[in-house]
Amino acid sequence: MGFENIVFYVFAGIMVFSALMVITVKNPVQAALFLVLTFFSCAAIWMLLEAEFLAIALVLVYVGAVMVLFLFVVMMLDINVARMRAAFMQYLPIGIAVLVTMAVMMFMVVNQIHIDAPGRAAANYNNTRELGLVLYTVYVYPFEIAAVILLVAIIAAIALTLRRRPNTKHQNPDLQIAVKRDDRIRMVKMDTEEKK
Amino acid sequence: MTDNMQNIYLWIVLAPLIGAIIAGLFGHKVGRAGAHWVTIIGVAISCVLSIYVFKHINIDGGATFNGSIYTWMVVDGLRLEVGFLVDQLTSMMMVVVTFVSLMVHIYTIGYMKEDPGYQRFFSYISLFTFSMLMLIMANNFMQLFFGWEAVGLVSYLLIGFWYTRDTAIYANMKAFLVNRVGDFGFLLGIAGVLMYFGSLDYATVFAGVGEVNGQTMEIIPGSQWSVMTVICISLFIGAMGKSAQVPLHVWLPDSMEGPTPISALIHAATMVTAGIFMVTRMSPLFEFSETALSFVLVIGAITALFMGFLGLVQNDIKRVVAYSTLSQLGYMTVALGASAYAAGVFHLMTHAFFKALLFLGAGSVIIAMHHEQDMRKMGGLRKYMPFTWITSLVGSLALIGAPFFAGFYSKDSIILAVQKSQLAGSSFAYFAVLAGVFITALYSFRMYFLVFHGKERMDEHTREHLHETDKVVWVPLVLLAIPSVVIGAIFVGDMAFGDFFGKAIFVLPEHDVLGQLSKDFFHGWFSMGLHAFVPGPAWLAAAGVGVAWFLYMKRPDIPEWFEQKLSFVHKVLVNKYYADKFNEVFFAAGSVGIGKALWKFGDEKLIDGLVVNGSAKAVGYVSSVVRHVQTGYLYHYAFAMIIGLIVLMGLFVL
Amino acid sequence: MTATLLTNLHLATPEIFILSMASIILVVDLFLTENNRYITYLLSQFTLVVAFLLTLNLFSGDTFYIFSQTFVSDPMSSILKLGVYFATFVTFLYSKDYLIQRNIFSGEYFVLGLFAVLGMMIMISASSFLTLYLGLELLSLCLYAMVALQRDSSVASESAMKYFVLGAIASGMLLYGMSMLYGVTGSLDIQIVSQQLGAVTNKTILAFGLVFIIVGVAFKLGAVPFHMWVPDVYQGSPTAVTIFIATAPKIAAFAMLMRLLVGGLLEIHAQWQGILIILAVSSMAIGNIVAIAQTNIKRMLAYSTISHIGFLMLGVLSGTAEGFAASMFYTLTYVLMSMASFGAVIIMSRKGFEADKLDDYKGLNQRSPWLALMMLFIMFSMAGVPPFVGFWAKLSVLKAVVSADLLWLAIVAVVFSIIGAFYYLRIIKLMYFDKAEVSEPIECAIDLRWVFSLNAGLILLIGLMPESLLALCKQVVMS
Repeated sequence: MGFENIVFYVFAGIMVFSALMVITVKNPVQAALFLVLTFFSCAAIWMLLEAEFLAIALVLVYVGAVMVLFLFVVMMLDINVARMRAAFMQYLPIGIAVLVTMAVMMFMVVNQIHIDAPGRAAANYNNTRELGLVLYTVYVYPFEIAAVILLVAIIAAIALTLRRRPNTKHQNPDLQIAVKRDDRIRMVKMDTEEKK
Repeated sequence: MTDNMQNIYLWIVLAPLIGAIIAGLFGHKVGRAGAHWVTIIGVAISCVLSIYVFKHINIDGGATFNGSIYTWMVVDGLRLEVGFLVDQLTSMMMVVVTFVSLMVHIYTIGYMKEDPGYQRFFSYISLFTFSMLMLIMANNFMQLFFGWEAVGLVSYLLIGFWYTRDTAIYANMKAFLVNRVGDFGFLLGIAGVLMYFGSLDYATVFAGVGEVNGQTMEIIPGSQWSVMTVICISLFIGAMGKSAQVPLHVWLPDSMEGPTPISALIHAATMVTAGIFMVTRMSPLFEFSETALSFVLVIGAITALFMGFLGLVQNDIKRVVAYSTLSQLGYMTVALGASAYAAGVFHLMTHAFFKALLFLGAGSVIIAMHHEQDMRKMGGLRKYMPFTWITSLVGSLALIGAPFFAGFYSKDSIILAVQKSQLAGSSFAYFAVLAGVFITALYSFRMYFLVFHGKERMDEHTREHLHETDKVVWVPLVLLAIPSVVIGAIFVGDMAFGDFFGKAIFVLPEHDVLGQLSKDFFHGWFSMGLHAFVPGPAWLAAAGVGVAWFLYMKRPDIPEWFEQKLSFVHKVLVNKYYADKFNEVFFAAGSVGIGKALWKFGDEKLIDGLVVNGSAKAVGYVSSVVRHVQTGYLYHYAFAMIIGLIVLMGLFVL
Repeated sequence: MTATLLTNLHLATPEIFILSMASIILVVDLFLTENNRYITYLLSQFTLVVAFLLTLNLFSGDTFYIFSQTFVSDPMSSILKLGVYFATFVTFLYSKDYLIQRNIFSGEYFVLGLFAVLGMMIMISASSFLTLYLGLELLSLCLYAMVALQRDSSVASESAMKYFVLGAIASGMLLYGMSMLYGVTGSLDIQIVSQQLGAVTNKTILAFGLVFIIVGVAFKLGAVPFHMWVPDVYQGSPTAVTIFIATAPKIAAFAMLMRLLVGGLLEIHAQWQGILIILAVSSMAIGNIVAIAQTNIKRMLAYSTISHIGFLMLGVLSGTAEGFAASMFYTLTYVLMSMASFGAVIIMSRKGFEADKLDDYKGLNQRSPWLALMMLFIMFSMAGVPPFVGFWAKLSVLKAVVSADLLWLAIVAVVFSIIGAFYYLRIIKLMYFDKAEVSEPIECAIDLRWVFSLNAGLILLIGLMPESLLALCKQVVMS
């Protein structure tokens, strides 16, 4: 059991623990932070696999950008924590039963597999470069599809959230600037009236 | 050229179908006149084209056509297709069917003038024409069966046309059930063909006769039956149902419940010949089973003679004609049994004309009598209805086989053929057809005298309104009367004794009675007519007429005396040999009894209670329970997925 | 490198065209006013027609791989794509008036629809786990958004949510299964995977990955027990979206089934046959039985879909080319029937009224005999009554099952289809024998009327001459 194994088990342990906490803690902000931790340990494990680029991308994109955004949203929304957890205890036993069965089964299967670890790369091996090479050649088609998926995600997000409520009040600077005197003032002529 | 002909055949079939669809589905839109125009034009197109085809094939000697138009599906190498086989036999049938049908269409305009179901009726009879054409033009058993069932369906619809009448409903039910018995045999026959020949195509089947002939099958363990015999008899049982042979004849007289006499005509002059046609078409099969031929012969003989007797005691004008049809169908069947297929078909053709004439004549009388059908309330009509009178006389003469009339040639050919036949049962058949001639004459002229001569027995009110019927009614009568006279003389040389049908009919040399006759006996139509005056069937017919005149005109007391003295015989006849009674008591009551028992116990308790309602209840219960699994909660759904995953893994991974 | 990358690029022209047009329409739509929105609609339909012609033009009997073996163009893919265009085209036609009446006639519906078509095309032409998965995601994402498109409807949002969450779980499972297979075979390329399978000694791990993959596919198809989303989504979505979900994606799901199980995993047919049998039988059972208890026609049709999916799987699980062809025929014809049935719901509906209760069909014959007759065709076909096309579809899959020596399965299938006939015939009974509650005649646009008649007429027509389509399926599957 070399140093690598120790590192692996430590980070794997942290990861499983924090993942568990994500779904069990009461406070959604805490859950989000635990998710950050999960990603972080995951990045560490990837680093161990010499996938530096992916590890860094995970930290930068997920931890740095996505989760921060997510935290903003969670903090802005007022989620009723108590109500969401009402049924939790009721389903816990059966949940645990399923969990255990699942885990046992997976263990039995995965235990049979032995996949050889890939050989070490040479010292001048550049993970980022290699990724870039295949990404834009061999995997250019999936890469393009992924781009389309992102486009659709944007369209969907806008389509579902952008709404023009009829009674919202907002300014139209264009009209404000283009306004003319006649639009605002109406000259009224009338005869003088006698006070009664 | 073949393409061209193929299109013609297609149009012959489709024109009436289109008419039927328009009149049936859009009857309200096109109106009454629209409905009769569209159907008449459709049938007229197919009639004209049929005559053209007849000329092309039978007179110009054009090639026969055999090809498929459309393949419906192929199942395990078995092709189910729609195809036409048009040869001499088919083309002749096409002309008969379309011509008679056209007459019926025209006649219907007058007869159904006031009926609210006017468009529906036209739709039915056009549909009938289509079905009948599909039947006769088929080149395979599958299409034959389709046409067979389709004419059965239309006949059911027509008999029950006045569906508010109890008797009509009863009659159509009866026709349907009796035909079902026949169809069952027919279907078994087709199944047998498929099993042993491996194909439903006529040409393939007929080519394979050599191999199958001589094979045996074991239906009841221990006894070997000839395959050909079993197939042929099964097929013939089908023909017995459709062509109303004893004992499956009971539906036909009742079918007169339909609108007189048009649907009756369809049943009597056209549809019932489907059986005769089918057996003729199958001649390559029947020829190889003498047992089956004997069976056909005997059944036909029984029908010819005994149904004639029944005509004697009927008082309803339509029923007399109906029983005479039964008897004439018996003649045709006898001809088939004696391997004189050509003579049978020849009689079929002449019969179609003069029987149509008689039916329409009867219809004309009925219209004039304000839908009174009892002959005892008629009499002396010749003064009021000259056209109907003359044409009915022509029809009756043709029917009894008076020399030089159409019926004479065809009927005499049959009688002569039976005389020559060597098959088992042929001597009985010969006696039956001879006696039948006398009986035919007797009942035909009994009807003729009772209706057109003698005292006027109708009530005052009817008499005042008596007059000749409309032109649409009597013109078809005249048109039909002409062929009833001349058609026999024209075609007897070719059709009965010549090589008219070519390869369409197959006869083994040792059965070829007509061939022998044409050598030994036949020297042209005129000499055949003259020959009648040598003692023979014609004298029997004359005797029949004489007796009828004597009994019903001169001494009406004698029949009455007979009725009283021989009340037993009379009773048997009036009750139609108790065939209906027997069916009622034995089959109907028996099956009602069994049915009741099965119903009470089997159906209500077992099937309804346990199987149907039980399973329905079970299904409903399960359904309502399972429905609640669909709670609408997301985590329940996800949970179900996980459970499914675990189950699949548990079953297949571990 | 570039040379090999770009060889035979023309095989992907339909995909490229759809993508370009979808993007163009997206932009064009921004500049259109509400009144000119129909231009978006026309452009979308134009796109589909052109794509149809492009694909038709590319149709050949050969198989090509491009984009480094991630994209395959073979006869099956061409036929299925044509089916997708056709289904989408008809769907858009049906939907137009419905969307206008409900104020959701927006460019997004059509743009998302086109992107969904692109996703389906990618799935159909996938020859790598990766592209298959990405195509699936693209399709799913579009569908989730389309379900939620009617934002004032809380039911629609709820069902979109359910669909999304469950779909994500299923996608996760699918990915997990794929990664297992990748681990064993070392490749994502379906061809290579199938070659490597023989060499794998440990079949358990294969079966393990297989189960996860099948769960993913089964979810997409809506097979029991992964069907829970189907009734809720079908009922909750606007009918215009339901009809879209119920038609074209089924073709894509069938392609996915074929690519994964037949293209990649035929080697372990023995293993997946058992799983599919369980899924098929439970789908037919649950689908047919629960449908009886429904009072909402969209929900009833959802359960009917589930039962049809069970039937569809019968052909595939038989493991023979004949069976695959039968399933393909079943898929295409089912899409045709499904299209027509939801089309009828759309035609019956009008502004402010959804004809989604069974009771709304009472006495339809008195209100619109034409509509009732077409509906009769559809229901008979769904129940599998000859001569309608549904009969041949059922017959051909049953034949495949019987020739695979699974006679008992065929009998079970027949029993369930008899149970199923009940609820189809009940609609006919409602239409023809019950008294209408409202007597006003049904109004609908003339183009809708024509499309619907053609649609229902095709059900009869193909039923009368099923041979050519069956032969086409057979020929396509063989190659």
